[in-house]
Amino acid sequence: MNASRLTRTVLFIYGIAMIAFLYLPLVSVGFASVSQSRYLSFPIKRYSTKWYGEALESSTVSELLLTSLSVALLVTVIALVFAFFGALAFARYQWRFRNTFQKLILLPIFFPQTVLGLALLMWFNSLGIIPTWKTAVVAHLIWITPIATLIVAIRAYSFDPALEEAARDMGAGTFTVLREITLPLLMPGIVSAGLFAFLLSWGNFPLSLFTTGADSTLPEWLYAKMVSGYSPLVPTLGIMSVVGSFLLILFAVAVVWLMRANKEARTAQD
Amino acid sequence: MDSSPFLRLRGVVKSFGTFTALDRIDLDINEGEFFTIVGPSGSGKSTLIRLLVGMDDLTDGEIRLRDKRIDDTPANLRPTCMVFQSLALFPHMTVGQNIEFPLKLRKEAPDRRKARALELLDLLRLPQSYYDKRISQCSGGEKQRVALARALAFDPEILFFDEPLSALDYRLRKTLEKELKDLHARTGKTFVYITHSLEEAMVMSDRIAIMKEGRIEQISEADEIYGAPVSRFVAEFMGEVNLFGVTTGGDGTVTSDVLTVRPGATLAKAPAGARGLLMVRPEYVRFADDGDSYDFTLSGTLHGEYALGSRIQYEIETAAGMVTVEKLREDRRAVAEGEQLTVGFNARNTHFIDEAA
Amino acid sequence: MKTLDRRLGLLSALPVTLLMVLAFLAPLVVVAIFSIMPPKVFSLANTPDFSAYAVFFKQGYYKSLLWSLGMALASTVILLVVCWPLAYAMAKIFKRFTLVLTIAIVMSLFVSENIRLFGWVLTLMKGGLIEGHFRALTGIGFDSPLYGVPIIVFGLVYVYLPFMLFPLAQGISMVPDDTRQAAYDLGATRWQVLWQIEIPLAAPGIVVGSLLSFVLAAGALAESKILGGQAVIAIADDIETAFTFGQNWPLGSALSMILIVIIGTLALFGVSKVDLDAIMGRKR
Repeated sequence: MNASRLTRTVLFIYGIAMIAFLYLPLVSVGFASVSQSRYLSFPIKRYSTKWYGEALESSTVSELLLTSLSVALLVTVIALVFAFFGALAFARYQWRFRNTFQKLILLPIFFPQTVLGLALLMWFNSLGIIPTWKTAVVAHLIWITPIATLIVAIRAYSFDPALEEAARDMGAGTFTVLREITLPLLMPGIVSAGLFAFLLSWGNFPLSLFTTGADSTLPEWLYAKMVSGYSPLVPTLGIMSVVGSFLLILFAVAVVWLMRANKEARTAQD
Repeated sequence: MDSSPFLRLRGVVKSFGTFTALDRIDLDINEGEFFTIVGPSGSGKSTLIRLLVGMDDLTDGEIRLRDKRIDDTPANLRPTCMVFQSLALFPHMTVGQNIEFPLKLRKEAPDRRKARALELLDLLRLPQSYYDKRISQCSGGEKQRVALARALAFDPEILFFDEPLSALDYRLRKTLEKELKDLHARTGKTFVYITHSLEEAMVMSDRIAIMKEGRIEQISEADEIYGAPVSRFVAEFMGEVNLFGVTTGGDGTVTSDVLTVRPGATLAKAPAGARGLLMVRPEYVRFADDGDSYDFTLSGTLHGEYALGSRIQYEIETAAGMVTVEKLREDRRAVAEGEQLTVGFNARNTHFIDEAA
Repeated sequence: MKTLDRRLGLLSALPVTLLMVLAFLAPLVVVAIFSIMPPKVFSLANTPDFSAYAVFFKQGYYKSLLWSLGMALASTVILLVVCWPLAYAMAKIFKRFTLVLTIAIVMSLFVSENIRLFGWVLTLMKGGLIEGHFRALTGIGFDSPLYGVPIIVFGLVYVYLPFMLFPLAQGISMVPDDTRQAAYDLGATRWQVLWQIEIPLAAPGIVVGSLLSFVLAAGALAESKILGGQAVIAIADDIETAFTFGQNWPLGSALSMILIVIIGTLALFGVSKVDLDAIMGRKR
């Protein structure tokens, strides 16, 4: 497509505006988190980091973080195992119920999460299970496993089945093929799916709302405080959660980059 | 000034940043002609056709159709139409809807559109039942014909083709080449065709332009391009060729370090006192032990023999490099690898390429 | 190879399928059964009486549903218009910048939607980022746009933008450049190319994007609560209230069922229309 320079420029500015639009609210939260006054009003008169200090000392906050972290980690590990096999069934193997399976997996993504959380609450109740943060893991999994599966599946689509056939031809068994060929080739998809799984679980609120029982995750607590009884810790914790996510992404990017550099260095030596 | 040609390009330049894809192209194409532009990939032929159709803007120069400038007219307003390499059939429409698309844009009545579409199906030798077929149900050759029908429905002044046959298998390609030539004769339209295949160009075209690195090397009729190329590039691009370094004297006499020249042999058309290449196509080179005498001879050892279907090719290693000899299969000659051979050819079957020009 | 594929496919689908059946489909069955129980019971061992569905009509819950569906429709239409140019540019025009945009937009998804909506409250409230600074500069204040139906739609557009944008860009990238150029060449105007070539060929992306944003917006809760200040009640809000303050599980279940049936029908219809292999970039 040969768009004119003008069209290009206009669209570029539109894209920049879109990013600004998406992040503007976070800027407000950021300013609010360093306002000294308990009752917020812009322009901010005095800046202070005292709410951060308070947040770090509060035992409620560390409990919230611990719960959110446990849920997110557990969800990530389990979702990845499901997603690896799910993606193969979704994209790689030609089998009878593949189309039905593809559509079944998509349904939870299209489902209102609040309703899903409530449905699970009733389900656990009728099974006699008392909801804790562990039941929230199940709730998150229903929504996050399909997303992780789709991400790995994108990778699985671009994967040449002849590679697996060649390995089998040289005498590798099914399990060896999976471990030596399929897994390494799908690795980039698995890494990004893991990142998505962790971050989506970390930030999720509607699924946690009804399924954590007496426990509470960070987004739940924030919501409760927003809707009733504002606390100056809301913007502070919000920003801490956001910064935590972005640090994790940076960390993941750095690890991938280092691994690649390391591999290149090794091949250069050979 | 004499009557201006149908399509005229003057000083057409197209650059992408610092790279010049087309360098001052001048070209005249006549009405009703089958004109082919041939060149290797990267020669600028695809860029040229995109300019002609209006999908890209020129950097400099002008394009006139019937003496009217069209280079600033957008593609959808130009009276020209292109058959794409990918054919670009609309996958969400039936064969009939595809063909009627340009007519629908002109708001022609549905019954007239359909009548015209069926007419075109006939013209392209497709059964009328194809009208309701989906594009995905058509074979490669059928899709080709639908794309042609759609372009003809537009009723363009000039029909452009961007290597539409290159994705097809050999036999189908040969059939369609002939059909296309036939269609050209029946419709009387101006066809401008782009290809990297010499064979395709030779079969169909009235005139051929050879492109190299953004410039036109030669524009001539097919026979002339084959028999009298203006440069080593054209000679080599247009099939197998033997080239020998020679120098001409006065009166058409010729001397060479690698060829034995028969006294009195002359090159009638060569300029006097020029250094250049003597070109001879392999089918004009003979084995010299058959008793005839030749204007030019040289010796070497047989390197190999290759069967090319109806023809046999021999490669002979000589002081001038590898020389190729070609014979019809019925004239096949028994040879042994490593055998010492003398080959020869006559001046009237050669062409002198002036390297200074 | 074929039989092996079949066996491995079935085997590797097993874990996810089990999860879906045990933790997705089974709970839905429970909701369906609860919805026909008499009011305010907490066990399935009661005689069904369908009274909860009658309440839906009698007590005006259908208004909440209509509001939710209406606002979802409005936000979907706005999203289509707002996202099309950007999706088009991401698929066909931008090169590097597409990656930058994708990363920026995906990263925003990782921030809990509560925090982002709360950020809008801080931005738009009286004395917020915009009004506060404007008043400090000019001395003139204005009313906050918060707490009304338009701001809820705005919130829905904001939150579900990526769910429209990415499928749309994927759909548009499936339109071959050649077909568009061929249409121009055959005399079509920009507008005709858009309606007759690009939109039909990008239809799978349009369907998936619209469906996702509509369905998610119809079941949304936080936008009306945080931004809307409950100017109107969303159906998801009614459902939540029925479960929490109302302590009426059958009513909540009946309301859920109505929403589930509407959304499920749409989702199944849309998903069945779309060739997933093609959208996700099958190479074979």
